[in-house]
Amino acid sequence: MAEAAVLQTTMTEAAPEKVTGGEEVLVPYASQRVAYWYFVIALALFVLQLLVGLWLGISYAFTIPQNIVDALPFGLTRAMHTNLLVLWMLLGFMGGTYYLVPEEAEREIYSVKLAYIQLVAFVATGVIALVGFAFGWTQGKPILEIPTPLDFVVVIGALIFLFNVAMTVIKGKKTAILGMLLGGLVFLALLYIFGMPFYRNLTIDWFYWWWVVHLWVEGAWELVTAAILAFVLIKVTGVDRRVVEKYLYIETALFLFTGLAGTGHHYYWIGAPSTWLWIGGIFSAMEVLPIIAMVIDTFRTQRQKGVVIKDKVVWTFAVGTAVGHLIGAGVFGFAHTLPQINYFTHGSQVTASHGHLAFFGAYALLNFTMFWYAMPKLRGVRKVDATAAISGFWIMSLAVLGLGVAMAVAGIIQTYVERVLGQGFMVAQANMQFWFKVVLVFGVVLIVGLLMTFWQMVFAKEAPGEQEATV
Amino acid sequence: MVNKKAFYIFLAGTLTSLAIFLGLTWDTHRQVDALTNADKLSEQVVAGKRVWEKKNCNLCHTILGFGVYYAPDVTKVHKRIGTEGIKQVVLQPEVVFKDSFRKMPNLGVTEQEATDLAAFLEWVSKIDNHDWPPQDSEERMSAAERRATGGAGLSRGAAAFQQNCIGCHSIGGAGGSIGPALDTIGATYDAATVAAYIAEPTSVDPQSTMPPQTTVSDDDRSAIGEFLAKQQ
Repeated sequence: MAEAAVLQTTMTEAAPEKVTGGEEVLVPYASQRVAYWYFVIALALFVLQLLVGLWLGISYAFTIPQNIVDALPFGLTRAMHTNLLVLWMLLGFMGGTYYLVPEEAEREIYSVKLAYIQLVAFVATGVIALVGFAFGWTQGKPILEIPTPLDFVVVIGALIFLFNVAMTVIKGKKTAILGMLLGGLVFLALLYIFGMPFYRNLTIDWFYWWWVVHLWVEGAWELVTAAILAFVLIKVTGVDRRVVEKYLYIETALFLFTGLAGTGHHYYWIGAPSTWLWIGGIFSAMEVLPIIAMVIDTFRTQRQKGVVIKDKVVWTFAVGTAVGHLIGAGVFGFAHTLPQINYFTHGSQVTASHGHLAFFGAYALLNFTMFWYAMPKLRGVRKVDATAAISGFWIMSLAVLGLGVAMAVAGIIQTYVERVLGQGFMVAQANMQFWFKVVLVFGVVLIVGLLMTFWQMVFAKEAPGEQEATV
Repeated sequence: MVNKKAFYIFLAGTLTSLAIFLGLTWDTHRQVDALTNADKLSEQVVAGKRVWEKKNCNLCHTILGFGVYYAPDVTKVHKRIGTEGIKQVVLQPEVVFKDSFRKMPNLGVTEQEATDLAAFLEWVSKIDNHDWPPQDSEERMSAAERRATGGAGLSRGAAAFQQNCIGCHSIGGAGGSIGPALDTIGATYDAATVAAYIAEPTSVDPQSTMPPQTTVSDDDRSAIGEFLAKQQ
C-alpha cells in the first residue's frame, strides 16, 4: 500500500496539470485506502476457491481411488470451496463499502483502526475455519459449516463493521445510496444469527438455513449490490443522482417484494405446509422482474443524451453484472422455480448450474466492477490496459457460461434418467460423465481468466499513452 | 418530490411481502410437528442428526434435496435400503463401492453412531414432504418397477423383490447399484439357495458382504427365491 501511495505521489508530480479543481485526485479521502487490502485478500481467496473447485471438478469427472478419498474426502474440499466463496465476497462487499462511504458521506471513515481490526478478525476466522475442516471441526451444515465459537467471532467482526460504517454515516452526509447500503448490511448481519443454533428437527433446521442463504442472496446482498452499482453508475456515467436514486428505490422494492415471500420456493419439499407451494411459486416467478428492470435501466442510462462513459472497463463489468444477473439468477432461477418443474429438478445438477451462473453473474461480477473502479485509483494507476482488462472479463464470463451450461445439460440428463425413469443415482451419473469433463475444461479456462485479471488489477504497471477521459 | 414517492413504494412493497412471509412462518411452526411426526423425534434420532453433521455427510449427499449433489439423496434412503443397508454402507463403504466409479470415504463411524444415524434417516423418511423425491415415490415408481420386475401384479415373488431388494439390486437396469445386478442370478443359484442366502448370506457365500435380511418373512424369502431362480 505504501508503494501505491508513493506511486501516486510521483504520478501527481509528473502530471501536475491534471490536478485541477480537485477532480483529478484519485482517492479523495485517505481512509478509503483501507479498501485496498480488503480487495487484494478477496481476490487471492477467489483464486484459492477456484483451485479447490478444480479438485472438485476432477472428483466428478474421474474415479478417485479409495485411499485418496479416505484421506481427502470430497466433502472437506467442497466445504472449503463454498466457505471461500462467502468469505471473499463478504470481504469484497466490505471493502467496497469502505471505499464508497467516505465519498458519499463526504468525510473520513469513523475509525481506520477498527476497519483493520475487523479485517484481521475475518481473515483469521477464515484461516482457522479452513484448517479446522481438515481436522473435522465442523457444524456439518453446508455453507454454514463453521463451528459456533467462530460464529461469535464473525458476529463481533460484523458488529465492528456496522458500528464503523454507521458512525461514519451518522456524522456525515446522508444519501439514499448510503441508506440502502446500511440497511442491506444490517439485514445481512441479523440473518446470520438464524443459522447458528442446533435445531433438533431437520425441517426447522433447513427452514432457517434458508433465512440465511436465500435472504442473503435474494435480499440483503441485492440491497448492497444495488447501492454499490448505483454509486458506480453515478461516478462512471455522470447521470443525475436523483434519477439513479429513483430507480434504486423501485428496483430494490421489486427485489424485496418478490424475494422475501419468494423464499417459499425452498420450502416445497421439506415437510412445510403446502401453502408455500402457492406463495413460493407465484412470488419467485416474479423474481426475474427486478432483474429485467435493472438491465433496462443500465442500458437506458447508457443511451441517455449527453452521457459519456468515463471508464470502459468498469462499464463493461457493470453491464456484465446486470446481464449476468439476468442469465444466472433470473433465467436459470426461473427455469426451475415452479413446483411442477422443481419436483423433478430439485437437488440435481440443475441446481449446481444455477448456483454457479447466479453467484458469478450477480455477485462475482459486481465485486469486480467495484474492484476495477477502485483498485487502479488505490494503486495510483491512471490508465489501465483496457484491452487486457476487458479480455479478462470475456474469458471469465464465457468460461462460467460454458461451465454452467455443461452442468445444466448434466442436470437435465440426471432429471430424466434418475427422476423420471427412476434409474439408480449412479446409472444417471454414468450418463453425465462426459459433461463433467466439459465442466472441468471450462474450469481451467476460468482460472486462466482470473489469474490474468488478478495480475492486471494488482500488479500491472500503468498502460502507456495519454489518459483517456472518454472512450 | 418524486423520490419520496419511490421510497414509499419501496416501503409498501417490502412490508407486504414481509407480512406474508412472517405469517406463513408462523403457520409453518403451527403445522410442522404434525408434518414431521415430531412425537417420534427421540433422543436417538437427535443423536443420529449429530452424527450426520459431525461426519459432514451433507457435504456429498443431499437430504430433503439440500446439500451437495455428489452422492445420492438420502431423504428416503431408509425406504430404499433399510437400517441394515445404511449401516453396511457407512461402516464399510470401501467394500460396498468396490466396483463403483465414485467412492465413499470410510469416516470411522462406530457401530453405535451407525445405528443412531439409521434411526435419524428412518425418521426423515417419514416426513410428509409431498412425496419428494420422485425416484423414491412409490406412487410414481411402482409402474416402472412393475415393468422391470416382470409384472409385480401377477407374481408374489416379484412384488416381494420390489419391496425388499430393489434398493440395492437391479433387474433390467432398474434398481440400486449397491449390490450386483441380478439379471442372471438364476443361472448360479436355485430357489432354495437364494432363500437361504437372503437369511444368512455367508452361509452360501463366505465372501458375501450383504447384510442378513432379518425383516423379510420366510414366505417372502421363498417367493423371492422362486422369482430370482427364473432370472437366467
